[in-house]
Amino acid sequence: MACQLDGEVELSAAVKIPDRLLKRDQERVEAAERRKEVQESQTVTEEKSDYFSRGFNAEKAVIESLLSICSNLDRDKAPRVLEEVTLKIQQLQKFFNDSVVFLTQYELRQAQASLHTLQSTLDEKRDELLPKKKFAFRSRKAETSNSKATPVSTDSSQHSKSDGGTQDARSAELHVADGNIGAEQCGITNVDSQTLTMSAEEIQQRDVLLTHLTNCKVRLLGSPSTLHIKHVRDCEILCGPVSSSIFVDHASGCTFAFPCQQLRTHNTTDTRVYLHVTSRAIVEDCSGVRFAPFNWSYPGIEADFELSGLDKDRNNWTLVDDFNWLAADTHSPNWAILPESERRSSWD
Amino acid sequence: MGLLTILKKMKHKEREMRLLMLGLDNAGKTTILKKFNGEDVSTISPTLGFNIKTLEHRGFKLNIWDVGGQKSLRSYWRNYFESTDGLVWVVDSADRLRLEDCRRELSALLLEERLAGATLLVFANKQDLPGALSKDAIREAMALDDIKTHHWCIIGCSAVTGENLLMGVDWLLDDIAARIFTAD
Ligand SMILES: Nc1nc2c(ncn2[C@@H]2O[C@H](COP(=O)(O)OP(=O)(O)OP(=O)(O)O)[C@@H](O)[C@H]2O)c(=O)[nH]1
Ligand SMILES: [Mg+2]
Repeated sequence: MACQLDGEVELSAAVKIPDRLLKRDQERVEAAERRKEVQESQTVTEEKSDYFSRGFNAEKAVIESLLSICSNLDRDKAPRVLEEVTLKIQQLQKFFNDSVVFLTQYELRQAQASLHTLQSTLDEKRDELLPKKKFAFRSRKAETSNSKATPVSTDSSQHSKSDGGTQDARSAELHVADGNIGAEQCGITNVDSQTLTMSAEEIQQRDVLLTHLTNCKVRLLGSPSTLHIKHVRDCEILCGPVSSSIFVDHASGCTFAFPCQQLRTHNTTDTRVYLHVTSRAIVEDCSGVRFAPFNWSYPGIEADFELSGLDKDRNNWTLVDDFNWLAADTHSPNWAILPESERRSSWD
Repeated sequence: MGLLTILKKMKHKEREMRLLMLGLDNAGKTTILKKFNGEDVSTISPTLGFNIKTLEHRGFKLNIWDVGGQKSLRSYWRNYFESTDGLVWVVDSADRLRLEDCRRELSALLLEERLAGATLLVFANKQDLPGALSKDAIREAMALDDIKTHHWCIIGCSAVTGENLLMGVDWLLDDIAARIFTAD
């Protein structure tokens, strides 16, 4: 009875508890429940991304070990291992793509960086271990400074089909290059510390390629149809109006000046671009790229502008898209406008 | 009948097709799309994201998706695979240094389940450039003859002159139509 009485007393006491306190208690209980829910859902995503990390890292380790052994392999075994690595990286990329939805920004970036590193290591090993591409045109060293670089063609007669036996995919590419008799590649490759000029007759409305140049000054006095610049270091490259796109990859410490329809800049660091672009310039995997308005000229540039079809009055040199920086509200740290005080005004 | 089947039936009654254009950056995808549609091609910027165009051609309604090909965008391609009837793979025939990348990306796509039923048209673009590889050279470099999983065809073209664009699209439509509209 006493008990019951006590109970009653308590009950009546409880009834007297102000609503305010009751409400607060209820909120506390609800909050605890919410926390529990959040925790539970977190463990679900944690489990998923944990599953991803473990799977990803295990596969990454396998690929890394394959890559590390292939330098010590017999020449004839290396292509097969590299082909296997190619396939594994592809599968890993797909695994990553399929997991994107439940990964955190941090994990995304980590995984992307790892994939990127694996891919570049693979590319390096390929360069190191596999026969060089046959369509790399003959390297022709300029003999004297100010010498004229002439367009060099892929000379199919020079290349025997010595590696015709291998079955890896890469050799298919080599065969093509070997069989590629009609097509000529116009450009300059493998030159160190020279001044090189190509004239209008050589480059007019052609696709021009400049690769593996170090510490060179290059003048292209005409209007190419398109221009590719790859693996250049400490070079100054000036070019007349390019009808379509200019594609730059792996440049560092360079100065460029050219007009074009599109500029596509990749893997480039510490480089100044004096630009006239009628649509847009982009950067991807770049840092320290700085832009200024195109201000170089040469006799005949007006006619070359005409020929290129570029609008001389439309220059969007300040509109640069960084494909690694999609935040609209903050400026990409990878490119900037070159301050006027640092711009060059004379080129000779 | 499942919802998907009903949707497919409806779509096919309207003779509607979904085409997906992919390829490395700078291949000329957007230029092909605009040229085909009779638009100005001189103002095209590198694609940050995608373009979609709906157009009528030979009584078909074509929904053409053109997705940016920059490296940083390639992981998003998968978002566009669903219910693709035709895949248009665009190659810059003058970009010899990236042919291997190009082959690798295409072969990865062909492993995708959601593209398993799609017809493949390869455009060997930029044939107007003096240094362009011929469509047969591209065919060999990309090992197209090894493709057994998809109907495919390669056509040399130029988005700038417009050469062969129509021929490529017509082949694609014929192949898709033969597969899906006559099947019911
Ligand atoms: N000479 C020549 N240039 C072309 C041709 N097709 C496209 N181009 C040029 O190539 C450059 C790239 O073309 P886009 O259409 O922007 O390439 P895209 O494939 O859409 O590139 P992303 O949007 O980055 O994926 C532009 O400067 C075009 O003018 C062609 O058939 N011949
Ligand atoms: Mg585009």
